[in-house]
Amino acid sequence: MRDFEFLEPSSIEEASRMLAEAGENSRVMAGGTALMLAMRQRMLAPSTVVSVARIAALQGISFDPAQGLRIGALSRHVDVAEADVIKQQYPMLAEMAAKLANPQVRHQGTLGGNICYADPSTDPSTCLIALNAQIVLGSVRGQRMMPLERFLVDYFQTAIEQDELVVEVRVPVLPSGFRGQYRRFRKTAAEHRPLVNIAVAAQLEQDRCQQARIVVGASTPVPQRLKETEALLKNQVIDQALLKKASIAASQEVNAVSDNRASESFRREMVRVNAYRCLADTFGLPQE
Amino acid sequence: MSKHTIEVTVNGELRKQDVPARRMLSDFLRDDLLLTGTKRGCETGVCGACSVLVDGEVVKSCLSLAVQANGKTITTIEGLADGDTLHPLQQAFMECGGLQCGYCTPGMIMASCSILKKHPQPTVEQVQEGLNGNLCRCTGYTQIVESVMVAAEKMHGN
Repeated sequence: MRDFEFLEPSSIEEASRMLAEAGENSRVMAGGTALMLAMRQRMLAPSTVVSVARIAALQGISFDPAQGLRIGALSRHVDVAEADVIKQQYPMLAEMAAKLANPQVRHQGTLGGNICYADPSTDPSTCLIALNAQIVLGSVRGQRMMPLERFLVDYFQTAIEQDELVVEVRVPVLPSGFRGQYRRFRKTAAEHRPLVNIAVAAQLEQDRCQQARIVVGASTPVPQRLKETEALLKNQVIDQALLKKASIAASQEVNAVSDNRASESFRREMVRVNAYRCLADTFGLPQE
Repeated sequence: MSKHTIEVTVNGELRKQDVPARRMLSDFLRDDLLLTGTKRGCETGVCGACSVLVDGEVVKSCLSLAVQANGKTITTIEGLADGDTLHPLQQAFMECGGLQCGYCTPGMIMASCSILKKHPQPTVEQVQEGLNGNLCRCTGYTQIVESVMVAAEKMHGN
């Protein structure tokens, strides 16, 4: 690994000034699991690494019945998985985090770092976009908030500015009649990176699906909302035939990529299979 | 580039050392502190041979900088035995044949410490899931899982 200057600011403002001064050849480090890997392999060789690990304002998880959930950017995956308030209020989010990568990564990697790195083959963003999460960015210029869906721009690319940090992730309060599921598909049980993942967040009134958000990730440069598939479920009474139709629509709508991990056609097929299973779980219907 | 003085409690002993920013935690333990029980395997976060406990939780020391450990408490495989008395996990790995070449064993045992802390009486599935970040190319894992189950029984019985 190339040598670098290591800085440890204690506030968002201090970090923001350091990043502005260091310029484009700097990187922010939170848990560091992904960054260290990229630096060891010389995919990245920053001259300055700004560690945000000691900034208190980026920590903590809290829930307010009016405001919803706040997850500080430095919350590790294990913190998200084990927080009582997330297990109770957003079980699909806790379950996603509990099986992310492997125990060592969950004990060190952070939610903020994961989102900023914007690696498509990971779990949290797909799940969070289905839950309509917002991201709070902070700098010396103040704070701004945007939907996570807009924050993720492309492969390893986000809308973050040079002097900004992700401060926290906010998830709105779930409506009554909410049903949600997250599902990942890995080629083998020992793999740590999903090949396809899918999240469904739906609102039911009696038997009718009022609306649903369906997001597919890990097969696309950034997680993709499947709006045409969502429209098939809107104001419908859900049965297996409809979910079969929706899962085929999902496999056609997704902008699946081909790469050395899998071909586009295999990914589309896995989207179909996993979309069906995830939707069936969401609506309490049998798995075929 | 930048140099840092770090203070880390390793296996109960406070160690103070100057390190360059780029020193990996695994290299700090092995090359600076001469604690060579922690192994370097893939060095890309896959194999888990370098697993150590940081503040009681298992992490991969090949994906951490030594400066990140400043002020923290680290336990390596050398810190588990009590004098000549092996830790129940070490004893169980020996008795159940939970190793062949032994290269992955320190990492396996540190990951197992983390499993038993969270699940004192784990199921086989919980052990398998807890060892998901550690590779063994010799054993086929069966006896590793058995070792952890046996150790859990012993530790819970005490």
